Amino acid sequence: MHRYIPSHVSAHRTHLTTSEAKEQVLANLANFAYDPKNMDYLKELQVTDLFLDMLTEENENFVEFGMGGLCNLSMDPECRDIILQSSGISLVTNLLSSRREETVLSAITILMNLTKPSSRSEITDPAILQCMLRFSLSESPRLRNLAAVFLQDYCTEEQVAQAEQQMKGQQTAVGIPLPEDSS
Amino acid sequence: MAAPVSNSSGCWGVPEVYKHHEQRKVCISRPKYREGRNAKAVKVYTINLESRYLMVQGVPAIGVMTELIQLCALYGAVEEYRPLDEYPAEEFTEVYLVKFQKLTSARAAKRRMDEKSFYGGVLHVCYVPEYETVEDTRLKLQDRRRYILRAVHNKAKEKEQKETAEKEPTMSSDTATTSERIVMRHDKASDDDNTGEASNVSKHPSFPPLPLPPWEYNYYGHKTQHGTVSTEDKMGTLHNAIIVTKQQPAPSSSSSQTSSDGHKGAKHRLTSKPSAVRFVPRSTNLENRKRKMDEAAGHSLTDATRNDEPLIGPKLPEPPKLDMEDESLNTTVSLIRNTMKQVESVPDLKPVEKKVKPRRRI
Repeated sequence: MHRYIPSHVSAHRTHLTTSEAKEQVLANLANFAYDPKNMDYLKELQVTDLFLDMLTEENENFVEFGMGGLCNLSMDPECRDIILQSSGISLVTNLLSSRREETVLSAITILMNLTKPSSRSEITDPAILQCMLRFSLSESPRLRNLAAVFLQDYCTEEQVAQAEQQMKGQQTAVGIPLPEDSS
Repeated sequence: MAAPVSNSSGCWGVPEVYKHHEQRKVCISRPKYREGRNAKAVKVYTINLESRYLMVQGVPAIGVMTELIQLCALYGAVEEYRPLDEYPAEEFTEVYLVKFQKLTSARAAKRRMDEKSFYGGVLHVCYVPEYETVEDTRLKLQDRRRYILRAVHNKAKEKEQKETAEKEPTMSSDTATTSERIVMRHDKASDDDNTGEASNVSKHPSFPPLPLPPWEYNYYGHKTQHGTVSTEDKMGTLHNAIIVTKQQPAPSSSSSQTSSDGHKGAKHRLTSKPSAVRFVPRSTNLENRKRKMDEAAGHSLTDATRNDEPLIGPKLPEPPKLDMEDESLNTTVSLIRNTMKQVESVPDLKPVEKKVKPRRRI
């Protein structure tokens, strides 16, 4: 990460841009969320909402860190419900097409975490399944593995078979591209 | 133990993956952010980044594989290991793949062994989830989920026990915003529990345990004028709260934010503030805190002279200890105070120095 060094502010040689400072704060919060001991506190701070807000940002780091935070929080049932109530499924699904591999991995994991009886049908939407099918053929082992777990554990065989059929039936692959850096 | 378990989809065969290594400039297990040149200073850890599989680089090629594995085994049972001959290694070093039985062992081993010297070389240890099988990944996620649900369940039980045990409502240490929000959350969280205590918690307590000493009162009074107080404390406290939580055993694990230590002294209730989490840059927070420490330090000079006279009333300790009724905040305060003492002579505010970590791989 390069540092912005404004030439007219020579005194502050290691000055962080607001953007970089925000990234650090966001990353710190996301990392705190990795430890369940902190989850109560973070919930009080409504950090889940903060992470959700980051998903529509243009800055890819904001998105990636926000997704990481949600990935960490979404295993907690309360956070899961907050995310679901805030149209989390569609926000997260949109990011399946991100160029950043970490973001995509987080997206798959979050979708798995969000799965409960009331949300299952939305999460196993054919479009998502087709995406997962493509991911399961990826060169990236992590992507392959997560997609495989998703297809095997969160979908029925019929759903998967149906999605496969649909994919074969499509003449042009209007699919979700694999992340650029999935190498 | 180097004999691998024969597994068609296991990592111990020679999967196609390895062929990709040659074609690429960088191994798949070393994505861009792990390169020294482009080292990201920030990194977010998720379950997808961690793994029972570790890659250890920089092992001197002097036949110390056994010693290396013995070292790894200190942190937990090692299931399998083998040298990664196909992986590019620096001259005279070897690279090993080590599979631990538990993720927690791998985590500890990585933390302790990374960047440490070993038989003359420096080890570089990182997670390599790329070597997982689908089953490995599945189990990893399941373990993680179970762990979190257990932690959440334990917390809920603790909270319930606390609420039934304590008749008095819990009070916060620093700002009313914190306490009010905590109080509100208790309300919310307790809704499902349906405990009678929940409604009581939301009322203001009828009497605080002890009155605040005057200088502390002034400090808090001064703080209320700053709009960023609540967020700042949280940002500052947040970091240290983690440390406090880890050091303290179970009883207070959930109290790092509620700070229910009535015995610690007086809690001061401030006027409530709208509770929006503001994204205040850390550098601003630190500058604010330094400015305040400046002022507090300024007081200490006048206090010192007064100590010669006979004191009436509450005795001011010297140097004035700012007791913020919270261990983590106290630690922060004393650290900053010490730093301020060193830089007191320098008129300029030194900007926050961002630590540049040398070539860090996770």
